[in-house]
Amino acid sequence: MIKAILVFNNHGKPRLSRFYQYYPEDMQQQIVRETFHLVSKRDDNVCNFLEGGTLIGGSDFKIIYRHYATLYFVFCVDSSESELGILDLIQVFVETLDKCFENVCELDLIFHVDKVHYILAELVMGGMVLETNMTEIITRIEEQNKLEKSEKAKLDGTPVLIQTYAGIAAAPARAVSALKEMNIPQKVKDMKLPDLPSIGNLKF
Amino acid sequence: MPTVKGDGMRGLAVFISDIRNCKSKEAEIKRINKELANIRSKFKGDKTLDGYQKKKYVCKLLFIFLLGHDIDFGHMEAVNLLSSNRYTEKQIGYLFISVLIGANNDLMKLVIQAIRNDLAGRNPIHITLALQCVANIGSREMAEGLSVDIPKLLVSGDTIDSVKQSAALTLLRLLRSSPDSIPMGEWMSRIIHLLNDQHMGVVTAAASLIENLVKKNPEEYKGCVSLAVSRLSRIVTSSYTDLQDYTYYFVPAPWLSVKLLRLLQNYPPPEDPAVKTRLSECLETILNKAQEPPKSKKVQHSNAKNAVLFEAINLIIHMDSDPNLLVRACNQLGQFLQHRETNLRYLALESMCLLATSEFSHEAVKKHQETVITALKTERDVSVRQRAVDLLYAMCDRTNAEEIVGEMLEYLESADYSIREEMVLKVAILAEKYAVDYTWYVDVILNLIRIAGDYVSEEVWYRVIQIVINRDDVQGYAAKTVFEALQAPACHENMVKVGGYILGEFGNLIAGDPRSGSAVQFQLLHSKYHLCSPATRGLLLSAYIKFINLFPEIKHIIQDVLRSDNNMRNADVELQQRSIEYLQLSSITTADVLATVLEEMPPFPERESSILAKLKKKKPSSVPEGSEQKETTASKIPAVQMSNNVDIAPPTSINLMSQGESSTDDFVDQGSPQGGSASVDLLGLGSPTQPTAPSVGSGGLLDMFDTLTSHSSAPATNGIDLGGLSGGAEEAFRKFICKNNGVLFENDLLQIGVKSEYREDLGRLWVFYGNKTTFQLNAFLVDVSTPGNLSETGLSIQQKPVGGEVEAGAQVKQQFNMACVQEFAEAPVMTIQFLYSGAQQKISLKLPVVLNKYITPAEMDANTFFTRWKALNSPSQECQQIIKATSPIDHEQVKAKLIGFSVSVLEKVDPNAENFVSAGILYTRNQQVGILLRLEPNKQAQMYRLTVRASRDKVAKILCDLMQTQL
Repeated sequence: MIKAILVFNNHGKPRLSRFYQYYPEDMQQQIVRETFHLVSKRDDNVCNFLEGGTLIGGSDFKIIYRHYATLYFVFCVDSSESELGILDLIQVFVETLDKCFENVCELDLIFHVDKVHYILAELVMGGMVLETNMTEIITRIEEQNKLEKSEKAKLDGTPVLIQTYAGIAAAPARAVSALKEMNIPQKVKDMKLPDLPSIGNLKF
Repeated sequence: MPTVKGDGMRGLAVFISDIRNCKSKEAEIKRINKELANIRSKFKGDKTLDGYQKKKYVCKLLFIFLLGHDIDFGHMEAVNLLSSNRYTEKQIGYLFISVLIGANNDLMKLVIQAIRNDLAGRNPIHITLALQCVANIGSREMAEGLSVDIPKLLVSGDTIDSVKQSAALTLLRLLRSSPDSIPMGEWMSRIIHLLNDQHMGVVTAAASLIENLVKKNPEEYKGCVSLAVSRLSRIVTSSYTDLQDYTYYFVPAPWLSVKLLRLLQNYPPPEDPAVKTRLSECLETILNKAQEPPKSKKVQHSNAKNAVLFEAINLIIHMDSDPNLLVRACNQLGQFLQHRETNLRYLALESMCLLATSEFSHEAVKKHQETVITALKTERDVSVRQRAVDLLYAMCDRTNAEEIVGEMLEYLESADYSIREEMVLKVAILAEKYAVDYTWYVDVILNLIRIAGDYVSEEVWYRVIQIVINRDDVQGYAAKTVFEALQAPACHENMVKVGGYILGEFGNLIAGDPRSGSAVQFQLLHSKYHLCSPATRGLLLSAYIKFINLFPEIKHIIQDVLRSDNNMRNADVELQQRSIEYLQLSSITTADVLATVLEEMPPFPERESSILAKLKKKKPSSVPEGSEQKETTASKIPAVQMSNNVDIAPPTSINLMSQGESSTDDFVDQGSPQGGSASVDLLGLGSPTQPTAPSVGSGGLLDMFDTLTSHSSAPATNGIDLGGLSGGAEEAFRKFICKNNGVLFENDLLQIGVKSEYREDLGRLWVFYGNKTTFQLNAFLVDVSTPGNLSETGLSIQQKPVGGEVEAGAQVKQQFNMACVQEFAEAPVMTIQFLYSGAQQKISLKLPVVLNKYITPAEMDANTFFTRWKALNSPSQECQQIIKATSPIDHEQVKAKLIGFSVSVLEKVDPNAENFVSAGILYTRNQQVGILLRLEPNKQAQMYRLTVRASRDKVAKILCDLMQTQL
């Protein structure tokens, strides 16, 4: 069973945390910190599995993670999961994010936390793998987007047809345009974040 | 590109950007608090918030929560969003609830109601949202509230695939969190057929659910084996184009394959030959595919392929039946050991650990020993090195133990701190388990302490001491080795402890050599004294007092040390007390007493290694249960097997380790309730009414002096012998001298009643054990021992067995047959042991069998009485005592006592009517002994004079002692 899915950046800032077992809030924060501490000191060419981490699960507990550019994707699992299987699942998750956001980057995860949660919900449910077929996942996400559009269209009176095609693929564009409108591209530059290369097409 | 006003939720984007621009933590908190206040007032005041606004605020709250701030409001708004008809609002409501609301929230009832509404609706996308929420929270309340709806969705014919998938996993989650609140129903029988479903996603989800059900009840779902095998076979033999979307980087349905292979690991190899063959074919195909050239260079391809391969190997190891497959698996793993992918090396080491426990492949695994050792030394990744340690531990046997232990010791010097403690335990276990030569074992452990002293837990050094004490062939070597090890200018405190203990016990074995003479040994130990912690100093003080016994010639030196202000006035009371007591002990007592008190430790009872227990606790997975058992039974290891910590406090000697405090509690304190009673026999410590007071620790030492001094002034009667008895036992026992039936012992757990009857030299006694608790008493064991030389001749006892359990509230009867062979003074001692809710209980009682029971009253006239009385005139035939009456003298009561004592009360024999005259015949197997008794009360002085004459030596004295307790 997957106990938790965590995404944080190279500085340990959490970008997504999803717990499939109940932990109090402060405990959740501690787990994120501990996991970051464990994972961040490891070289990139060592193996993707490690034990340790005392907060979740005790001895029957493994951390399986991948490091993409600025982000760590960490799955905390028990021994009933196949290590390589989970590793591939992380890959599917990231590829799906990449398809949905078109070259996903850290900013997408920040500005669309809700969307990321919905995508994850199509992959993993209650700590178990729900669906691994990317085409199927994307179809479902698109269905959701259609619904979202149609509801918005009803609100705004914009024709549904046009909206539908935009789909989620337009999300980053929208984010950028939102930023532009507010005249904050300058601010984005000022941020002390490292470069935000697209994480989808990196070498693993 | 349609730019929709607010679609990106401008407010949210601005807020997030603000936060990200904060230069300091304080600024961030300030901004967040401002936003929280804003949202709070919006939620409170503005009743006209529309769905979009609510959604925006909830998103902000989510973001704030992710940053690690508590969100204590907004719950109600989120719950309200659930009942919205708009998908987006519902969606954000569910998200907020499943991320932020704990299972115990007050609003859960409302949430469950909203979920039920959505499940009952026809909109699959709403159903899915509701299911996701249930699966993510999975509380008991949800399980109870939705226990019917969800299974129905799962097996209903008109549920669409994606909902079925979600329903399967939701049900799984509820079964996990509260298995008893899901009613078993008709759905259970249909569930395994989901393995045949057209939709692979449904099959994957169902396989997870079925595996969980199978773990609880394998028999009921046995049918899934053949279904899983055939499904697996279809996947394995299909080409990657067949499964289209479920092919992942040219590997057909890897996740499902993994799930199915896992599922099969819950069962033994299939019984049906056809299924078995089909499964073997699948596994072979998977192994074959591993050898094929990769279809893609991408790492995802090999990952997916190997995920299936490793699971197949795990299944092969689990079935452990086909040597051919096992060896192939082992060879495959051997290839991976040298693979350039770190992940594969890691997994190969992990799987090989399992493989090493199979008897078919143990030898094959050993072929890779060199590679594994290289891995231990050269791997850059600590995770991999750790696996290498595990594998070395698993593959170790008698043939390679020395080499493996040597390598591990060598590696330990540079090992990562995170794995040192575990390595130390493993080395200690291997060294003990496979030691042929115990000098090697001692060397290994001392090396461990030298190299990684900080990581050597107490269990490890306790263990080496236990082994040295139990094996006299290494004692001299051990003494010599620790002596040498202590020469090092800086040695670890654990080394000092071991050194102190071993030299204290066996220093005499090396004292012959002038280089390690008594004074040298003492100076060596004492040179470390001031650098040690108080606990160690306490141990050293005990070693010193042992030295006084071993080496009388340095007594004055040691006494000087004990007398020094540094010890006698130490701020640490334990040290102070020890110094004073030991000093007193060494100056007051005679050499004999000293020698007895400070005698060498007796061997420890054999038990499971406490180190192994510790390792098991630390890493349950790393100690394969079955293999351990195999090892210990298959190979007859000469090792001592012992010491978990119960009742190891040894009899008849001061335990050097005793601190009386927690520092060595494993070793002593827990043992003392039992062990204490044993020591008491010698030292006469502790009062019999407080049997469970730990008496070996410092308190015990104190008591010891009390008793020692009181001995000289007023020789205790039989207090020493009674020392080990449970509270109240002596009083109860006395009551039985003059009666045959009654309650012998009672506490909160147990009531013990006795019934007995005697005829001449034969007696029968029934003991009734009544369990007063509402729990079963386990491992109920009764042992009867006869103190001193009584067993040789006095009383022969036959004991009927008593069962191992006493049910709650039940009574168990045990019969004893006892024949009186000749006179005896001490009653047999009965020891009752049992487990009450896991805790060992021990009760020691005197069995109420006394010599007078074998007397038959005799009638005679005054003439005969006095003739016989005069005939028994030798001093050994008579015993007379003056006794102070414990209660007002009452003629009738005394008469009843005498009759209870089994003698007649002869009327009109003694000229003084106040006096009692009695007669009886004591039947023993060898002879009959005539008994005459005269009791003269003096009412003014409240005294009795009791005279007993018997035709056999000693009998009069015994009976007199017995009778006087009754007056």
